[in-house]
Amino acid sequence: MTDETQIAATPPPDAMREARAIALGIAGWLVPGLGHALQKMWGRALAFFLVVGVLVFVGAGMRGNLFNSDGGDAFASLGYVADLGTGSFYWLAKYIEVGGPDVSHAYGDYGTRFLAAAGVLNLLAALHAYEAARGRKA
Amino acid sequence: MNFHLSHLQAMLLFALLISIAFGFLSRRRPQDRVKYIAWSLLLFLLFGIGIGWAMYPFSR
Repeated sequence: MTDETQIAATPPPDAMREARAIALGIAGWLVPGLGHALQKMWGRALAFFLVVGVLVFVGAGMRGNLFNSDGGDAFASLGYVADLGTGSFYWLAKYIEVGGPDVSHAYGDYGTRFLAAAGVLNLLAALHAYEAARGRKA
Repeated sequence: MNFHLSHLQAMLLFALLISIAFGFLSRRRPQDRVKYIAWSLLLFLLFGIGIGWAMYPFSR
């Protein structure tokens, strides 16, 4: 009886692998490159950290529009989802962009695209880290 | 902090960063990555400048 309880309480290896993969994907989303760094994929980890970091830094420096949760329409909501894709760097962008967005100039509009691209790219990288942890990609 | 990048500078930086990310994402061997990044960057610039010139007649 005791043995059966112990066996039932231990999750099967596949479930553990899946849980680990999900945790790595979330880690990769929160800190760009962390999902790959925890799997010792140092080149990819550094590349994603730097690319997402530079995109956020330059995008915020160009005073791009960083969307909030209270956006009025579907585009603002989609923009918020894209911006949130940068994980912790979303708050870094908020910290850098003290003057608020200014899309009256072309570079402000470009900044908005830089920020959104950084988010979408980081989501792609986090998904890659998740798939790599499941053994589907290397 | 304020960056005032021109259209060309913004496009170059964007194309370079996205190409690097795609290269690292989709290729494993270093030489394959370099090839992919170079091709991707070239195509980004070709299409960007091409579309820019295609819009030129309607810009005034």
